[in-house]
Amino acid sequence: MRRWGTGCPRRIPLDDWERERGLVVQLHQLTAALYLAAGLVAGLGLALPMRSLLRGAASLLGVGALVHGIAFSQLHRADPPVPLTDIPAAISFMAWIAVCFSLVLLYRARLMALSVLVAPIAFLSTFFAALRLPHAEPATTLGSGSWPHAHVLLAGSGLALLGVAGLAGTLFLLEHRRLKAKRPLSSRTPWPSLEALDRVNRVALALGFPLITLGVITGLFWDEAAHGAVFTGSAHEVWSLVAWAIYAVMAVVRFTSHQGARKAAASAVCGFLFLFFAVVGVELLV
Amino acid sequence: MKILLVGMNHRSAPVEVRERYARDDVAPVLQKLAASSEIDEAVLLSTCNRTEVVVVTRALEAARLRLQRFFRHDLAAADGGARENVADYLYEYRDGDAMGHLLRVTSSLDSMVVGEPQILGQAKAAYADAVECSAAGPVLSRLYQTAFATAKRVRTDTRIAERPVSIARVAVDLARQIFEDLDDKHAVLLGAGEMVEMALRSLRREGLASIAVANRSVANAEALAAELEASAHGLDEIGQLVGRADLVLTCVGGAEPVLTREALSTVLIARRDRPLFVIDLGVPSNVEAALEQHDNVFLYDIDDLGEIANENAAARHRETALGEAIVAEERQRLEGWFMALRAAPTIAHLRRRVDGIRAREVERALGRLGLDATQCEAVDALTRSIVNKILHAPMVSLRREAEREEGLAYLEAVRALFALDDSDDGSDPRR
Repeated sequence: MRRWGTGCPRRIPLDDWERERGLVVQLHQLTAALYLAAGLVAGLGLALPMRSLLRGAASLLGVGALVHGIAFSQLHRADPPVPLTDIPAAISFMAWIAVCFSLVLLYRARLMALSVLVAPIAFLSTFFAALRLPHAEPATTLGSGSWPHAHVLLAGSGLALLGVAGLAGTLFLLEHRRLKAKRPLSSRTPWPSLEALDRVNRVALALGFPLITLGVITGLFWDEAAHGAVFTGSAHEVWSLVAWAIYAVMAVVRFTSHQGARKAAASAVCGFLFLFFAVVGVELLV
Repeated sequence: MKILLVGMNHRSAPVEVRERYARDDVAPVLQKLAASSEIDEAVLLSTCNRTEVVVVTRALEAARLRLQRFFRHDLAAADGGARENVADYLYEYRDGDAMGHLLRVTSSLDSMVVGEPQILGQAKAAYADAVECSAAGPVLSRLYQTAFATAKRVRTDTRIAERPVSIARVAVDLARQIFEDLDDKHAVLLGAGEMVEMALRSLRREGLASIAVANRSVANAEALAAELEASAHGLDEIGQLVGRADLVLTCVGGAEPVLTREALSTVLIARRDRPLFVIDLGVPSNVEAALEQHDNVFLYDIDDLGEIANENAAARHRETALGEAIVAEERQRLEGWFMALRAAPTIAHLRRRVDGIRAREVERALGRLGLDATQCEAVDALTRSIVNKILHAPMVSLRREAEREEGLAYLEAVRALFALDDSDDGSDPRR
């Protein structure tokens, strides 16, 4: 796998580049505002508690996802396109996939509380992207074919889904702890049931792990296309492979053994924290 | 016109007294009451916790005596008459206090279990009965419509009905926090008992795929199973039943627990990650406390459920202050409307008097002037317009002032100034 944002530079006039991506940045700013509003409305909906506010938060999240999608289409229409391989663009893409997946889940009414975690994280991601995209380097992946984009699309989607699994796991652990301590919530609080959260965790892992596996494989092909070697020993490569191995064990344990829902939730939280550090944290640090 | 409310409830009378005055079919007695000359309008509310009658009357004392007789003879008639002095158990509210009490009752602020939802339905049924018997008129209709709207406001603007206060409802609430849907869940009832059966029935209303009843005596299990449309089993099948179940309700007699961690260890492993909600209503406990250490087992005994129910009841009581504020606000508005009704006869009388004078004077003038039809109509319209414009401001003031207690002085002043009490033939009293 390659480090994002490195490769053969393509020479283009910088003025044109800045003008082209201006709209992408503005759309990201609008998306971030919508996600922030969704997070605040969802928080209010849980605190008051009012289901109508949670529905409103889901709608805001939906509008945000739509604008976010338009931002990505602009990102591709820019000439030259803003590279998805750039960290801000990749993080923004992960947030978009996570929001889209959450919106599918929100159709099940009692999962609406998920938006209280998804929306702020999506806001932070798009806000970060909006700040960093103006400084993004032009595409630097010439000569590697479609592998860089395939890698980011697959790995980013997998990371997003496993992120949602981690969020569902966090909510599960909170709810489990409360029920075990005999401190249940009131019936009006629109909090998802343990069973629903466990199902989200299971589905997200079932979809996210194959995607991240494909992301690892396409990353290896990218390395081979760019460097002529499948394994270059970069920090990103090593940490990502370790994270993938951890998830492989988690998936095997989850789907083949008698692992309880609480342990699965805890694994999803810890697993995602490690994966995020391995994929994004190491990239930023190194 | 006065409003009078007389009744008994869980605070003023013991249950054995309340039972004697409670009626399922209120229509016959209500029709009889409404036919009384002292009563203009009446609504009778009869539940297991209260029997109250609210009436509109123009003869307050006579109505009071009639309602005393109503309780003593009409309501207690089925029991052969009152055995006790019913007056000892009755309370009485008039006008504003009666309105306030009615608003509190329908809003469930006066209920034994504050915030319980049944009372609103019962009040609606009582009002519908009164409408059907033609016993409810415009005053009580307005009063009840306001009461229903107030009850709705109290329920939505406060958290008075938010938390369940019965063991059965607490159990349902907990089940909904553990399971996404109860429609595909299997329940097992071990033993028998009123409370555990109530909890099971509440859960069933939310939807259960199946129920199994297990008892030491299979015959007893079969009897209960027939009632609950469940399957019957002996206690020796516990392991197998728990393995399939999502909810287990226990109320088995005996000192030793029937569900132990050791006995269920293989069953719990076989269940994989499926949660198991255990409601233990047995005293002493039917379930070994160690079972709770299992991640997927959520064990609540009667003390846990009772504690949650008590906390919820306390939370509801804390919300009553907000509910009372809403009731006070609505009561004030209702009292204003009721007092404004006093102005209606005076306003009508005044308009009739002034219009009579106008009509006579116009007729006299037109006879002298010899105008054609169009001109006569113009003069008539002109005088009407002048009268309307002159009367508009005083009438608005009268209506507004009548909503206050002090407004009575305005009404009296108008009656004296225009000599409305002297004659009622529309003629000018000075002539």
